[in-house]
Amino acid sequence: MTSASTLRARLFAPRWQPLLIPLTAVSTALVAGFLAMWLFGKDAPQGFALMAEHALGSANAVGESSIKAAVLTLCGLSVTVAFTAGLFNIGAEGQFTVGAITAAWLGAALDLPAPLELLVVTGAAMTAGAAWALIAAWLKVRRGVHEVISTIMLNWIALHLVQDWLVVGPLAAPSSNAQISLAGTVPVHASAQLPRLIAGSRLDFGIVYAAIAVIFCWLLLSRTVAGFEIRLVGAAPGVAEASGLPNARRTYQAMALAGALAALGGLLLVLGTEHRYPGTFRTGYGFDGIAVALVGGASPLGTALAGIFFGLLRAGAKGLQLVGIQPSFAELLQGVSVWLVSAPLLFAALFRKLRGARAT
Amino acid sequence: MSDLLELRCITKRFGSKPACENVSLTVRAGEVLAVVGENGAGKSTLMNVAYGLYRPDAGEIRFDGQPRDIRSPRDAVALGLGMVHQHFMLVPTLTVAENVALGSEPRRGIVFDRQAAEKRVREISDRYGFALDPRACISNLSVGTRQRVEIVKALSHGARVLILDEPTAVLTPQESVELLGLARTLAARGHAVVFISHRLREVLSVATRIAIMRRGHLIETLDVATETPTAQSLAELMVGRAVAGPQRPANAVRRTAGAPVLSLRNVSLDGHAARVALHDISLDVRAGEIVAIAGIDGNGQSEIAQIATGLIRPDRGSLLVDDQPIAEATPRVLRDHGVAHIPEDRHASGLAVTQTLAENIALGRQTRAPYARKRWGFHWIAHEGRTTRATELLAAYDVRPPEPERRAGDLSGGNQQKVVVARELDQQPRALVVVQPTRGLDVGAIASVHDKLRSAAAGGAAVLLISLDLDEVLALADRVVVIRNGRLIGERDGWTSDEQSIGALMLGATSATNAGAA
Repeated sequence: MTSASTLRARLFAPRWQPLLIPLTAVSTALVAGFLAMWLFGKDAPQGFALMAEHALGSANAVGESSIKAAVLTLCGLSVTVAFTAGLFNIGAEGQFTVGAITAAWLGAALDLPAPLELLVVTGAAMTAGAAWALIAAWLKVRRGVHEVISTIMLNWIALHLVQDWLVVGPLAAPSSNAQISLAGTVPVHASAQLPRLIAGSRLDFGIVYAAIAVIFCWLLLSRTVAGFEIRLVGAAPGVAEASGLPNARRTYQAMALAGALAALGGLLLVLGTEHRYPGTFRTGYGFDGIAVALVGGASPLGTALAGIFFGLLRAGAKGLQLVGIQPSFAELLQGVSVWLVSAPLLFAALFRKLRGARAT
Repeated sequence: MSDLLELRCITKRFGSKPACENVSLTVRAGEVLAVVGENGAGKSTLMNVAYGLYRPDAGEIRFDGQPRDIRSPRDAVALGLGMVHQHFMLVPTLTVAENVALGSEPRRGIVFDRQAAEKRVREISDRYGFALDPRACISNLSVGTRQRVEIVKALSHGARVLILDEPTAVLTPQESVELLGLARTLAARGHAVVFISHRLREVLSVATRIAIMRRGHLIETLDVATETPTAQSLAELMVGRAVAGPQRPANAVRRTAGAPVLSLRNVSLDGHAARVALHDISLDVRAGEIVAIAGIDGNGQSEIAQIATGLIRPDRGSLLVDDQPIAEATPRVLRDHGVAHIPEDRHASGLAVTQTLAENIALGRQTRAPYARKRWGFHWIAHEGRTTRATELLAAYDVRPPEPERRAGDLSGGNQQKVVVARELDQQPRALVVVQPTRGLDVGAIASVHDKLRSAAAGGAAVLLISLDLDEVLALADRVVVIRNGRLIGERDGWTSDEQSIGALMLGATSATNAGAA
């Protein structure tokens, strides 16, 4: 009774069906999208066919989808891991930015042999993201500052430090003309670029990073004692403390991991797609991570599913331009599914009916 | 007496299991109807159905002879039902009058009419003798006073039937006596009071009729005047077999206490708004003995428990285990020293209600076998071992339902407490800090928890018991230390003292002479 009314319980699916609600939300959103297209007089079947083609129809399409899915999944995992420890990480965007600039800087500054370069840059970018997130964790544990406030503020600090100083100042690519602000940073060495997996497609090693991250988070949270402690600290901090759990340490660890995951997302775009930190780079992926985690029910596997879905949707939505629909249609569907997940009461009646139908 | 509320053939199931089956019960104006039963017998479920919190799966609710469809507490309140829950629903930062008015605020134009609200509280308070200050802030009030605010709130919404869910569970003995008086007054003024309780003596002293529930069924409804039930006969009806009340078993043998295991040495704590100051507390709890701290609630016993379990650090003085001072006395360090804790507030520090029973049982020992196994340098959850151990413990402590994957929040309060007791005693602690271990438990469960505590002490554990229930203290304790205003003011022998002498000391009626050897 009491727990049912908490924000946590309202926002996230109950543990006994972690994937049911996200799947329902996503499919309902697709139906809603189909109806919306049709109502506005567009050719909805044609639109969906185009979406499918642009999401999965070719090696190139699969590459585009998987890059987006990988980055969205990593940012979603960042929010999910923090949330499991009872922290609302609004700061994935800032951690993403810190990871991206670290990757761009070291990818250009270091010149190591091929596999080593990538490993070192990856480790450094994740560490930087973790450190950035730890500021919020430290403020929370030591000073009682709510992480929502501190991570939002850290987002802006990261954004302005990077965009208005590092990218146009110390790390700017040397350029003879006035368009310095569009040039971005010095390009990274080839050894720092994420290897492409298929010829003729931008599908790169980032997908492997994301897959490892999903498996790691899933193992950590559901199979290890450390994950058990993180969950307990998140679910019942007072009980955890009285039981002798290291609340502060688990908070730091979860937040550091969250920061590292978001930073890895930033690294994927820099080392895989852009090969430098571009002059204008406001992707919003960090904020999308919140939506991905919500739809994914704050479980690692659900988050991966939601990340893949939104990745396909975004890549596919480009095709909608051929029937006269803006690609931001993808964000519309993303919004609809978040809204559906946030309103579980809409589904509660449906699930009751389904269960009743099964029982009789 | 006219029938006010009539429940006809109510059935309520959770999942496939009926919590209430075919229960019919009538509540009449001018009576105090006690509903008694074990934890999970369905008392609260039945009343929550009447109050609109649950929808019955079958059956009918009538009010004033009319069939009514009560879909929500709002409907119930509109009909004239009021319910005071165990966990109060008051806004601590608002005043008494503001809380009472909440939801039906008197207005002057668009402005909240504070004076009218205060007047309303004063009227009700005077009429029934509640002695409430409408301007007092809730956060400054004692638990007993807060409860009276809840009752006034219900009355101000026009409650004719007042349901009190285990109202004395949170009260001191004095407050309980006052509450029972209030219940009688309300009944005499034509209200119907439904009194859900485990405390059979209170039930017998206040109720005009007693409804006994067992495992979802209404077993019997007794008229107190004509059928003169006793605590013993009620207890037997409740559990369906003969049981003993909270008392020392006849064959109990006094053990010789060993060396001190858990000690407080000259411990002082500075008080502030949320906690009571402690003054120079020194106390030894020896291996094999049960030491009880008796006192009226809010005299510093919670603070002693928190210090003894590492949740707060004393400002002066030290905590010792085996006569060695513990420098960094955190919960972890104390647990590593073998100090277990059955906490006062189950939800705040005992049980993670959103997690499963198996996870809650593993808590505190999650890195050890059989709950974990080490592989590749990491501790991994041993799901099978955990489930097996949890299943054993749930069965051994008669937790219902005994399903390890059930969420702890799905269990009744008494069964949740059994889970905490099972977890803490299963660690074979060297010292055990136990706070209100049987609050809200039924007679059967109380006896079983008491047995477990006695055998823990017999096995050599040093048990520090903090309880507001003198029956419990006298049934368990070898020594009784009395606390008042943050000071230990005397000690009595647990085997030879009676309730009167300790009660008098708690109230400060006698001098603080140490009569431990009396």
